[in-house]
Amino acid sequence: MTYEFRFFLRDRAALFWILLTLFTASVAVFQGVQETAQQRSTLAELKQLDKTEREAVLAEQSNWGLAAYYTFHLTYDPPSGFAFAAMGERDTSPWIYRIRMLALEGQIYETDGENPDFANIGRFDFAFVVSVLSPILIILLLFDLRSGERTAGRLELIEVSARNPQHVWMMRAGIRIAAVILALSVPLWAGSLLESTDFTIVLFATIAVTVYVLFWGLVAVIQAKAHRAGSVNLAVLAGIWVLFCAVMPTAISLVSNRAVAVPEGGDIILTQREAVNDAWDLPKDTTMKLFLDRHPDWADNATVEKPFEWKWYYAFQQVGDQTAEQLSRDYREGRKKRNRLSSMLSLISPASMIQGYFEKLAGTDMTSSLNYEMRVRNFHAELRKWYYPKLFKDEPYEAGILETLPQYEPDGGP
Amino acid sequence: MNSMWLIAREEWRYWVRSRLARVSVLIFVGLIIASSLFSTLQTLDARHQRLHQQEVAEQTFLSQPARHPHRMVHYGHYAFRPPPPLAVFDPGIDVVTGQSIFLEGHRQNTAMFADARAQAKAGGFGILTPAMVYQILFPLLLIIIGHDIVAREREARTLAPLMGQGVTGITLYCGKALALLGLVGVLALPVLLVSVMSVLLGESIPAGLFLTLTYALFLTCWSALLLLVSFAFKTRGIILAVLMLFWLFGTLIIPRIAVATGDASFPTEGKILTDLRMKDDLREIGDGHNDADPTFSKLKAELLAQYNVGNVEDLPMNFRGVVASTAEARLTKTLNDYAEKRMERESRQSRIIRDFGALSPFLAVGHASKSIAGTDLKSHHRFLREAEVLRFGYVQALNEVHAGQIAYSDDINRSSDQGAEKRTRVDPENWRVLKQFRFETSGTNARLARAAPSLSFLTIWTLGLLGVGVLLARGASP
Repeated sequence: MTYEFRFFLRDRAALFWILLTLFTASVAVFQGVQETAQQRSTLAELKQLDKTEREAVLAEQSNWGLAAYYTFHLTYDPPSGFAFAAMGERDTSPWIYRIRMLALEGQIYETDGENPDFANIGRFDFAFVVSVLSPILIILLLFDLRSGERTAGRLELIEVSARNPQHVWMMRAGIRIAAVILALSVPLWAGSLLESTDFTIVLFATIAVTVYVLFWGLVAVIQAKAHRAGSVNLAVLAGIWVLFCAVMPTAISLVSNRAVAVPEGGDIILTQREAVNDAWDLPKDTTMKLFLDRHPDWADNATVEKPFEWKWYYAFQQVGDQTAEQLSRDYREGRKKRNRLSSMLSLISPASMIQGYFEKLAGTDMTSSLNYEMRVRNFHAELRKWYYPKLFKDEPYEAGILETLPQYEPDGGP
Repeated sequence: MNSMWLIAREEWRYWVRSRLARVSVLIFVGLIIASSLFSTLQTLDARHQRLHQQEVAEQTFLSQPARHPHRMVHYGHYAFRPPPPLAVFDPGIDVVTGQSIFLEGHRQNTAMFADARAQAKAGGFGILTPAMVYQILFPLLLIIIGHDIVAREREARTLAPLMGQGVTGITLYCGKALALLGLVGVLALPVLLVSVMSVLLGESIPAGLFLTLTYALFLTCWSALLLLVSFAFKTRGIILAVLMLFWLFGTLIIPRIAVATGDASFPTEGKILTDLRMKDDLREIGDGHNDADPTFSKLKAELLAQYNVGNVEDLPMNFRGVVASTAEARLTKTLNDYAEKRMERESRQSRIIRDFGALSPFLAVGHASKSIAGTDLKSHHRFLREAEVLRFGYVQALNEVHAGQIAYSDDINRSSDQGAEKRTRVDPENWRVLKQFRFETSGTNARLARAAPSLSFLTIWTLGLLGVGVLLARGASP
């Protein structure tokens, strides 16, 4: 054991690959920590600006309708303590919305885009390093464990002199695999310390890394044991890597996308827009009736006499959402179903599995993103609940009451 | 000359006999065919759909009933961006950016519904496109097949007799290079086929040709690296390690460092933050719905003086329409300033990534490919700008109708007087002010010009690697 360990320390090629693993994992963790810090400071600044802006706008208003029209409310999904390791959906789905009491379906599909070239190249987070990069490094460490010795002419010598030749190879592979696990875990632990990540999450993440590295180590060792030339081993292992890390994720995504139809996003907005715009030309009773079907409480206050009244305006905003409701639900359900299907299919692809698991631990998976969307929806519903009595009962405008406006709570549960 | 051919022919014969080479090529070519087929279906479908949606959006707008023109300003319109023909091969950033924009008065919306959001994700590299197969996986294939191109002969002890027969290092180098070039030719066939298909779909011939040449150059660059490393080191293990290291850094590590550098040099500010900052600027412009807004008093005074009347009711045009138009023009100027600032920042960030192509042929080929295909950042920006011109055009045309065809007295009383409300509805013929919009890819020359820096990086890389390789080959010993 100690002899093998000393041998490993002298094996410059092996040390090099291990150091490279350590380097890439560290860079990934560092960038992840930096990114979450950036997101937090953006949020802090936004919260401040949002408050100032709302107060400034509200100060100028003279009735409830205008106040509701002009005030935006910030909603957000702060990064978790483990988001630094897997950014997941946070890169493609919004984690901030500023919404107001108009039809929600017209507001919730905006994307707060980064430079598309960034997303195109992809993020170099810890999850990527582990799932895609580390298998290659493991392969490079292990593919010519035996064949390398043969080419060097030492194979026979080693196998004859050892009491149990099998033992030598297992020990040698074991030390290298353990070194990879450490090289990945140490940066992870450092990042977790900085972010004060929950201990159980770090523990589970470390177990996941260990199992994943062991899996690839096993694949490589089995292949390397075959009495073949090193280049054949490498080619076969590279093929397995391409299959697991490139082909299978593609296939899983494609199959999930094909199998579950999701309505065209644009159709939701279009439907909602049409409904809202048509309302101007429809008899007001028609709109109010559609509104009352769902909100019978306001039946006594629903007569509209003038060509324009705020309660009618917000009623048709609500009706706009109602019209697009089915499509919108299908869109959400479709995304859920796709996600379920792809996580099920991921069982055949270790790379997809560990990526998904990391995102789940980090709260950056599709489910978390959908939960955030639901929180925004609930908050929007609260806003309506707050304003409706004032609009329908025609309560006198009183700026002081605005302080009781609902506040968005980021962890208010879905 | 003759022995060069012999060496190349021997290599080809070896590859054909080698099960490893045969199977690897088959797998990778199968992969490229599968991804091309899928991508073709997907892209053609999307192209057809967007063109159709654009027509539908125009018809819907034109078929709106009589109403107040300002309501049509808010009713809005859509601009769609159909993928260009070469997106079949390289969808570029189209995967990430929205393909449609909702256009309305007083606002510049972001492109909506990036496909990425509804897509199932399963880690790895996301969904492999034919371009990615070429950029990421084909170099691996070359490494697998070609890393032992010299080392094999050395191990089999055939190198010494060969050189003893008077074959110089240069001849050996050229022979092996020729062999690899043949392989590159075979591997470039799929991209050639896709290019030909794109030309049939309406792409220009030079664009298709250059796309094929770009990938051929990229593969040649890798072949040159293979040769250089093969002549620089003697053992197979070291050769492999150096090549894999190069691949890891060039393909996976440097690109992501480039992104981080670009982001750090010109930090991105989200839309919401920008919107909030913009609000301050916009407050000074005044609310175009409210002609009593003090910011318009100067305008009012000027108009009254110009037409020599005492109050706005006596103006020959509807003052509210004038206000709407003036406010929209001021607002758009501010919005455009911010939009230009954002696009400028994105362009700078992307230029940094492009310049990292000097360190990574992967980045260079990626940038050249997107640029030629017309699926790069510049194309997206052009779409945003053209959509904005469309938006501003129809909004101002409708404001003109608002100012010219509606009486001021009706306009101010329409919320309380049913008769006035009726009279403010103008004939749907007026909706014809909407311009037809069909987004086209940039001209071939512009796209090739954008690809030029990256193509020169690739060329320099290739020539440099070849040059050093030849130098090493001159002193080659068995």
